Amino acid sequence: MKKIFLLLLIAIILAACSAFPQTEIAGNVDLNDLQPLPTPAGYEVVPLRVAVAAVISPKGTVESYSPFLTYLQEKLNRPVELIQRRTYLEVNDLIEHGEVDIAFVCTSAYIQGHDSFGMELLVAPQVGGKTTYNSYLIVPTSSNAQSMSDLKGKVFAFTDPISLSGRVYPNYLIQQLGFTPEEFFARTFYTYSHDEAIRAVASGVADGAAVDSLVFEYAVSRDPALAEKVKIIHRSPDFGIPPVVASPFTRPQIKDELQSVLLEMADDPTAKDALLSIGVERFVLIDDSAYESVRSLVGVIPTSEVQP
Amino acid sequence: MIKKIVQRIWAVVGAVSVRSKILGIVLGFIILLGAGVIIQSRYALAATMTAQLEEQSVSVSRDVAARATDPILLNDLLGLHDLLDETLANNPNVRYAFIVDPQGQVIAQTFEGGFPLDLLTLNSVNPNEHHHSALIQTDEGLVWDTAVPILDGKIGTARIGLSDASMRAALSTLTAQLLLTIILVSATGVLVAVFLTWILTRPILALVTATKSVAKGDFTPRVPRWADDEIGDLAEAFNAMTEELARTDELRHEREVLRRQLLEKVITTQEDERRRIARELHDSTSQNLTSLIVGLRIMETNCAQCASISKATDLRDVASKTLDEVHDLSMRLRPRVLDDLGLAAALERLVSEWQARYKIPVDVAIQLNERLPGDVETAIYRIVQETLTNIARHAQAKSASILVERRDDVVRVIVEDDGVGFDISSNHGERHLGLLGMRERAELLNGTLVVESSPEHGTSIYIEMPLMERMNVLLNQEQQ
Repeated sequence: MKKIFLLLLIAIILAACSAFPQTEIAGNVDLNDLQPLPTPAGYEVVPLRVAVAAVISPKGTVESYSPFLTYLQEKLNRPVELIQRRTYLEVNDLIEHGEVDIAFVCTSAYIQGHDSFGMELLVAPQVGGKTTYNSYLIVPTSSNAQSMSDLKGKVFAFTDPISLSGRVYPNYLIQQLGFTPEEFFARTFYTYSHDEAIRAVASGVADGAAVDSLVFEYAVSRDPALAEKVKIIHRSPDFGIPPVVASPFTRPQIKDELQSVLLEMADDPTAKDALLSIGVERFVLIDDSAYESVRSLVGVIPTSEVQP
Repeated sequence: MIKKIVQRIWAVVGAVSVRSKILGIVLGFIILLGAGVIIQSRYALAATMTAQLEEQSVSVSRDVAARATDPILLNDLLGLHDLLDETLANNPNVRYAFIVDPQGQVIAQTFEGGFPLDLLTLNSVNPNEHHHSALIQTDEGLVWDTAVPILDGKIGTARIGLSDASMRAALSTLTAQLLLTIILVSATGVLVAVFLTWILTRPILALVTATKSVAKGDFTPRVPRWADDEIGDLAEAFNAMTEELARTDELRHEREVLRRQLLEKVITTQEDERRRIARELHDSTSQNLTSLIVGLRIMETNCAQCASISKATDLRDVASKTLDEVHDLSMRLRPRVLDDLGLAAALERLVSEWQARYKIPVDVAIQLNERLPGDVETAIYRIVQETLTNIARHAQAKSASILVERRDDVVRVIVEDDGVGFDISSNHGERHLGLLGMRERAELLNGTLVVESSPEHGTSIYIEMPLMERMNVLLNQEQQ
């Protein structure tokens, strides 16, 4: 009798242990057998390294610049690598040390790079027939603010510490009102890109922001609903457009080759999509003098304040 | 084959007590039910939790892939590492997380001090896929590995592994709880079964006890009707049967008493009648014959020359012979010596006459200091008389012996011969009837008679007669 009970008990325990769903096992691995990761093999061909300053979000940048980079890759017959960094200064660092060959930088970043280590202008994009752009002061549609003075004591979104349209210009406006940003706004924060700043205002996280007019127009054209959520209450004077620059370490032949490829893009039917995707009509030559007005504006703001 | 198995099972199951049977039934059902419940619930829980694990694996991977996009694009390796570490910290089920670039290089991972390289090839995902999951067997158990492309696979793949440890722990907990429940229920079941057994077996045990009493002849016990069920019916039937048995026994007892009384009466009457006839023969017939003989002798003396004198002499011889025969008859019917001098003298006289007649030596040893009650003396005398008759008729014995002794309140009589003996088990007509009559006489006085014999080994008869009891019985009879 006892033996029968014992057998039954064993049967229960066995049944309890074996009840496991049947799924195909993909393979075996020992999670504690840790080995050093192999070092990556170097590129066979040195790629052209293109940096894009964080005017728009990294993901947006990849999406927008992919056709352009593909076009360059085909045209130059060498791989092209896209490099992004959070801040303008980080990109400037890359340019300064020759870690990238060319870069799309912000106007104020160009001025800073040019003046401090000899960043070289390559070409400038032409948008809407102009090679200038503005800073837009934007607020939510529901806001009653008419000008910067109405934003006192509010939350303000800056884009990048050295962005002309996103920080230098609004700071200039506040200075004109006789305040420093710290005492003027209740709170400020950095979004590190212009599309994120627009989003911050559209979603009501910020009561106001100053953004690049090119990015704003491009964003609104891609997402018309955005125009209903934000409104422009102030436009800055024209500034020199953010240029395409080369590192002082970039070899002259490559610089020349790139310059001619970029300049000829507008005449190349296969480049149409690439230009459209980055919102540029064509690339044109530009002179450093186009940025004099900005330089004088940046001069007004002490350098210490510009540093993040 | 099946019959054999059934027989073997029944040999085990049938041999145990009702208590074990009921316990076995109760425990067997509880354990069977418990096993079923454990298997079923483990299976259901495992299925649910596996589905949840897979779902969680997908959602965590998608989340990591989405949040890893910017750090990868911005080359923010520290941010990427923090993201994976956070994922690991916030999801206890996540065993590992890592990100591979499109070239297959691991650019961030949560293993410390190395990487299990085999893991890389075990799961992959196409850029256009939402995700791809695979079950991987590891040294720490099963892991759900999910791969999710980052930015359509342009900048890499996020891989997350969810361990089933929590699921196994939940299953173990469930099993442990269920086992505990089964043990508790079993314990309760045992208690209930014991109680049930008590209820069921109590009346049965009472019946067994009562039956044993009845078997011993005690018809007084009655079994209470515990419950209004089959066992209750059985108890009632038993009680009815016992009552009937008691009544029958009483009737039988009454008849037995009557029979004994009748027998006693018959024997007493027979003895009285024999005594009367013997006395008659002795007092009247013998006197008459003696007178006749005396008359004839006178006639012979007075008339010596008479012609009929020879006739008278013949007549006197006949009369003498008849007188002897009458003496003998009177003696055999009821020896006067038994009434006048007691058993010892009567037996010695009986034996000496018997010896004289049959020429078989008999060794007699009688140790009696005083007279025994009359009926006992008569009974012993008659039994010994019958035995001697049997020896003379059947035994072909060369010698015999008779022992009579009194010990305390018991008289023991042993009559032995060295004759041909007989087989006691076989019924042998007249002799058998004779033995029966002897035993009847002994038992009438609460005595016992045992016969020991086998062919060619002689015969022994042992008689024991209680005196005290006999006295009590006499006293009782007198009182009644």
